[in-house]
Amino acid sequence: MSADLSVRNPNASPLFMADALLRAGGGMAVSLLTTPATVDSSDAGQLGINVPNFQQLPLSPAVFRKVHAAMQEGQLPQYELLVSASAVQKQVSALQVTSADALFDTAAGVEINGAQFLIESRSVSEALGQVYLYRLLLREAHLLFQPSS
Amino acid sequence: MENAKDTFYVTLRNRLAVLNPNRVMMLRGLQRPGILMEEAEVVVPQMPTDAFVLRWTGLDVDGQLPSALAQMTCEMHYTTGGTQPNAGLDRGRALEEMDAELFSILSPSCAQKINYTQTPAVAMATKVFWGIPQFSSASSQRERLTRIAKIAVFAFQEQGEL
Repeated sequence: MSADLSVRNPNASPLFMADALLRAGGGMAVSLLTTPATVDSSDAGQLGINVPNFQQLPLSPAVFRKVHAAMQEGQLPQYELLVSASAVQKQVSALQVTSADALFDTAAGVEINGAQFLIESRSVSEALGQVYLYRLLLREAHLLFQPSS
Repeated sequence: MENAKDTFYVTLRNRLAVLNPNRVMMLRGLQRPGILMEEAEVVVPQMPTDAFVLRWTGLDVDGQLPSALAQMTCEMHYTTGGTQPNAGLDRGRALEEMDAELFSILSPSCAQKINYTQTPAVAMATKVFWGIPQFSSASSQRERLTRIAKIAVFAFQEQGEL
């Protein structure tokens, strides 16, 4: 076996490929819940009284699936979300945050089909140092549903 | 009980802002004094450093009195890794500074109970009061020093109060 030592310049093809695969795999739109544009500096906002009004940043294409793991009693089911790096980069530019890590660090969770999920961990897939896919491990948030009045 | 918990947090936060205006943190896009109520914030994998985190645990209610007296246990968690210029070698001093700050902001050990669910917030008839903190021994996890202080917080339940 020999190493592939050919010179290859980074280009956007891994991003295009990831987007195409995510779309082919049922590409859906999910929302990343992040800090609201207008911050709530009131006491009620810090006490859990006011609705936090997180911004919903659309991320698409994405693939959402249940992680099949050996379940133990009391263990919560986990889900995996594969998100296109181009969609993440778009939001990083729009919000003018320093990096995708900064964006995910401030995220309160992900909303998928109206249900909220907490981000347990995240990892990236790279080609030639360029991120083309984010993998988020999610856990369902146990929130009491309250119909809007 | 919720009004007592809210009052306790806001009182300590305001006292901390006066005592050490440099102890601040960025949370949900806002610069705030370095103290937060864990149950009212987003779930995070690791507690923030150099900030006080309030966690409410125990609850006892004495119903033998004319007004029910609630005793709640507040755990104050705080962690520090020291400062960057000192390469973290001052973490012991930083923890001691937080110990002293906590002890200071807990005095005086009472505050008028306030209902923050109304706008503007409304002062209630009774006070919230608390005991002296019980400091745990500091635990060390690599470069981080953590301590937990337990405080018993008392409040009478007023009519119509949850």
